[in-house]
Amino acid sequence: MYKRKKSWQQLLFPLFLCIGILCFVTGCHRDTSVATDKLPLKVSSVDDLKGKKIGVQLGTTGDLYASDYENDDYGTKVERYNKGNDAIQALKNDKIDAVIIDEEPAKAFVNANSNLLILTEDFANEEYAICIGKENTQLLDNINQALEQLKENGTLDKIKKNYTGSDSEKGCFPYIPMNIDRPNGTLTVATNATFPPYEYHQNGKITGFDIDMMQAICDILGMELQIVDMEFDSIINAVQSGKADVGASGFTITEERKQNINFSIPYTNAKQVIIVKNPNATEDSLSFSEKFKQNFLEDERWKYLTEGLKSTLIITFFSLIIGIILGFLVAIIRTWHEKNGGLSILNLLCKLYLTVVRGTPVVIQLLIIYYVIFSSVNIDKVLVAVIAFGLNSAAYVAEIVRSGIMSIEQGQFEAGRSLGLTFSQTMRHIILPQAVKNILPALGNEFIVLLKETSISGYIGLADLTKGGDIIRSVTYEPFLPLVAVALIYLVLVTILTSGVHALERRLASNEKSHQ
Amino acid sequence: MKNLTNDVLIEVNNLCKSFGKQQVLKGITTTIRQGEVIAIIGPSGCGKSTFLRSLNLLEVPTAGHVIFEGTDITDKSVNINKVREKIGMVFQQFHLFPNMTVKENIMLAPVQLKKLTKTEAEEKALTLLERIGLSDKADAYPSWLSGGQKQRIAIARSLAMNPDIMLFDEPTSALDPEMVGEVLSLMKDLAKDGMTMVIVTHEMSFAREVANRVMFFHEGIICEENSPEELFTNPKNQRLQDFLGRVL
Repeated sequence: MYKRKKSWQQLLFPLFLCIGILCFVTGCHRDTSVATDKLPLKVSSVDDLKGKKIGVQLGTTGDLYASDYENDDYGTKVERYNKGNDAIQALKNDKIDAVIIDEEPAKAFVNANSNLLILTEDFANEEYAICIGKENTQLLDNINQALEQLKENGTLDKIKKNYTGSDSEKGCFPYIPMNIDRPNGTLTVATNATFPPYEYHQNGKITGFDIDMMQAICDILGMELQIVDMEFDSIINAVQSGKADVGASGFTITEERKQNINFSIPYTNAKQVIIVKNPNATEDSLSFSEKFKQNFLEDERWKYLTEGLKSTLIITFFSLIIGIILGFLVAIIRTWHEKNGGLSILNLLCKLYLTVVRGTPVVIQLLIIYYVIFSSVNIDKVLVAVIAFGLNSAAYVAEIVRSGIMSIEQGQFEAGRSLGLTFSQTMRHIILPQAVKNILPALGNEFIVLLKETSISGYIGLADLTKGGDIIRSVTYEPFLPLVAVALIYLVLVTILTSGVHALERRLASNEKSHQ
Repeated sequence: MKNLTNDVLIEVNNLCKSFGKQQVLKGITTTIRQGEVIAIIGPSGCGKSTFLRSLNLLEVPTAGHVIFEGTDITDKSVNINKVREKIGMVFQQFHLFPNMTVKENIMLAPVQLKKLTKTEAEEKALTLLERIGLSDKADAYPSWLSGGQKQRIAIARSLAMNPDIMLFDEPTSALDPEMVGEVLSLMKDLAKDGMTMVIVTHEMSFAREVANRVMFFHEGIICEENSPEELFTNPKNQRLQDFLGRVL
């Protein structure tokens, strides 16, 4: 009876915590800005950028231009964000003064955020093109020919109007993939689907100008189109390493980029513009239930979370298995070496492995495994994540297990061996059962860390739970609810994991409870 | 007295052991015959425990040979696990497996090493427990038991493998005084049944009563070795005389 009550209390605490956080944040997240007399803009022209904080998306041409201002005599600062939307959020929260970004996404952002406006003065004019690996000249020729053809027959114009045309044109020319044989293989296109109207998430799919254009090109080339979503600054790497055949993500032609990749002929003109906050407009303030509807119910956006959760659970589960198996193996090899001598080479390899894995950040390991080790292999990202997190976790598990083994007195080994049991029999029946009991809290902790660490899977474009929240954020321009929802889901998962470990601890401890 | 045969069980030849620069055993040569009960006495640090632990290679000798039933077990090609099955060992700190019940402690080795089936091993465990008077503790965990009970179970655990010889490393040193008797009396029973035993001990009266040979170790060598009557009543070596003067 007493035990049951206790476990209930353990579950109740996080539950109250969740509710508390929710009440706190919903209560706080009211728009407090008060409309007053007309206030001046912080930045009203290109010249005004000097001495201000400029937000850009990492690796974009906006980033390149803004960098010219950095380290000038006026103390201009450049803040680089992984997504354009993150820069917009920062602008809305007054963390920065202006955002330099491509015109079309800027329009989309401003449409969705009534208290932002685009300065009439353009910042820069540029051209978009598709990027292709240096050595892949045959593909470059094919794509250029296809683009010429699309320009001549008006298809490209229609696609352009469909996404960036006047209000009456928008949405009127959807491109429908042709029903043809595709004998020439798959064209893998890397993109960053947070860049409306060129590429963005809608109804659980990635769509946009670039996507329709690539579909049209594939239709001409007789190829199957495959879209791979990743961070913008990873796309050129992906094209270079062969992870993707081409990159189509509103790439502006620049000299720097030309050194690493080839560009197709340009397919559209674009502008860089400046977005600032309009101090005279108040934000449309939606009620909580409206926001909830917008973030989770419209377009079945909750599916981004459930699908992401599925990936997160799959990755965590299999990494955990790899971590446990490999971790115990490494610990046993190391212990064997310590107790019996021998296995010197294996022991050295284990030590090297532990040093490298524990000495570098897991996100770097994930990127290296994806972009370097499996660079030219077409491999499932979930598998890559499982390998990366499994290998990482195993290193920590190994040292935890080894410390557990060392906590068992030498006499237990000797008693086992003196009976004629082999090293492995002694380990399996005598040492490990005791060691595992001692290290269970530390192991539980490692599993919690592992579960939360998988949240960086988005770095290789894997749609895990965190990325799911990010996708919703990029469509609804609302940081708050998706982030809190994601946080709550992690909290619940960790709570379940923790109570599972506690239950196991209690069961194992019952052995040695004093007898009644 | 006991029925001694002349079969040599263990032959120790010039056994040396060093820990780093410190030489703990400086060339021990002796013979242990079947049915003998040998008590090893000596001041702490004299190498008596190291000698005992060398007999089943828990300590690997630096030099010399241990020949058990005709096999040189210091030879690296010998499967030491097979040899250890025949050499029981009892430790000062008992070293029962705390994650198993008493019965499981006794059954583990015979079952894992395929000496007995699970049913046979369980039967054997219960028989042994009955013999040591702890039948009611079969399903208890070691942490529930007193020191004396633990040590008797540790002895039963070794006996379950039907060893040809039993090594005891100060079996009563960690016990409260009132529990020493129960362990010694069990060992006496074993001796009476003809078990070959080598016992490192501080219990002089026990050594005198049960052993048929006593070895006095000092600074890594066997200083004096004799029948208990002779060794205790008529010690020849000055160091032995000093030692006995201190402990008796």
